[in-house]
Amino acid sequence: MLEFIIPNTVLCHAVEAMLFASVACAILGVIITQIQISSIGFTMAHAAFAGAAVGMFFSVNSTLSAVIAGIIVAFLIGPMSDRARISPDTALGLLFGISMAVAIFFIAYMQTLGMGFSAMGLLFGDVISLYSHEIWMLAGISLVAVLFVIVMYKEITGIIFNRRIAESIGIRVKPVYYATLFIIAFTVALSLPLIGGLLIYVWLVTPAAIALQFCSRLSAMFVVAPVVAAIVSISGAVAGLEYSFPVAPLTAVFFSVVFLVSVALSPKRRISFRKS
Amino acid sequence: MSPQDPVIRLENVYTAYEGADLPTLAGISLTVNRGEYVVIGGPNGAGKTTLLETINGMLPVTHGNATICGYDIRNDGIHVRCRVGYLIQNFAFDPLTPFTVEEAVLMGRFGILGLFRKPGAEDHNAVKAAMELLKIGDLAKKPIGQLSGGQQQKVLLAQNLARNPDVLLLDEPFSNLDFMARDAINGLLSDLVARGVTVLIVSHAFDDLPDCRIRVVVMQDGRINLDTTCRPEEVASTVRNAGGSPANA
Repeated sequence: MLEFIIPNTVLCHAVEAMLFASVACAILGVIITQIQISSIGFTMAHAAFAGAAVGMFFSVNSTLSAVIAGIIVAFLIGPMSDRARISPDTALGLLFGISMAVAIFFIAYMQTLGMGFSAMGLLFGDVISLYSHEIWMLAGISLVAVLFVIVMYKEITGIIFNRRIAESIGIRVKPVYYATLFIIAFTVALSLPLIGGLLIYVWLVTPAAIALQFCSRLSAMFVVAPVVAAIVSISGAVAGLEYSFPVAPLTAVFFSVVFLVSVALSPKRRISFRKS
Repeated sequence: MSPQDPVIRLENVYTAYEGADLPTLAGISLTVNRGEYVVIGGPNGAGKTTLLETINGMLPVTHGNATICGYDIRNDGIHVRCRVGYLIQNFAFDPLTPFTVEEAVLMGRFGILGLFRKPGAEDHNAVKAAMELLKIGDLAKKPIGQLSGGQQQKVLLAQNLARNPDVLLLDEPFSNLDFMARDAINGLLSDLVARGVTVLIVSHAFDDLPDCRIRVVVMQDGRINLDTTCRPEEVASTVRNAGGSPANA
């Protein structure tokens, strides 16, 4: 897609993948952090990770198995936990534990079978071995995330303001909330081969946390978070490939540095000594 | 629905919270007409908030019939919530909440707009009018999280008024308000009642009630203990004598 700007195919694919994954994750990250469901993002990331590990072990497409695992968990967290009288906290604790157990079991077993290299890709991501159809899928989910926020903006703002108040003023809270969970599941699963199961949480939470340091309005956060995420991710991809560093871990470090700098520079922590 | 029809009609209604063995409301029957001012009293745990949430369709009706503004609450909950304002009890926003007062009040129109429709001029005019009614127009651009508890309470009330509700359910609306603000809100509620809005209020503050006949509903153990009408100055003693002492409620 961007070959006309970046002639180096490997670098071009890495930049494209990082751009699309970071935009989707950052936009959804604003919703996740503002509704305060970070633990849901965390659990979904690990469920997709477990799904990918199982898929890899059985020689099934690991992206497909990650998507399926993510959707199953989205279904369990949303509609099922509403009906099964399980508190979201308990449901997340259960699902997180099961996901990690499955993922670790299959990764450890693959190590003993000599399939360790592929398993490491699941943990920390592998930016240069993506197929072009995987990049197109990332572009698709990125577009879906952007359109979802544009079309459902007023419902999303109501839910972020307060779920109970949103319900009391006639907003259809549950369908929008469940749709959010399913889009998160798809995004996490599709980003997994690129970013890795251990690091995807950085992409989901850090850009939104950076935006929050400077933005007092939600609409601004939805612009700042993906822009920051795209700049940091592309920088990470370029620097990683140029100096032969692992791209996703390097980008995660970049995100952390930018977050620390933004906290130090945040106007929200300034104390005014004016008298009038 | 004609103007003479009751806006709230509950017939032998039972409501239960998920997971509870016993219903929280047990066999409630209540009919409220347009423009009535109803004070709901009773001790803690009597079911006052549950009654409001049942009328607003936020809790499931397990038995009986509930018709609000002409809609069956079980099938048309969303339509009911678009016509019924509900001010939630004891609410406080985090200082980092990323919404201005104006944005928060505008949310009151979102249910009416439905999916996919953006707010237009009519919605913004309704927001402006609601903020003027509550005298918070000068706070429009301020983040809601940076306001005092009383100001936040006014914003949430303005959010409910912005959709011109037929029924206003208020759960402890005076809890964060100073005396002046309390007087102002009471005056506003009197005006609303005079315009035909039905007000149901759960409160333990019975001073300065509007100068009209007040309907008093006293609840205990999920049932209505007393349903009567009295003068404003008699409300406190009526509630106390029916077992819902304001002092211990």
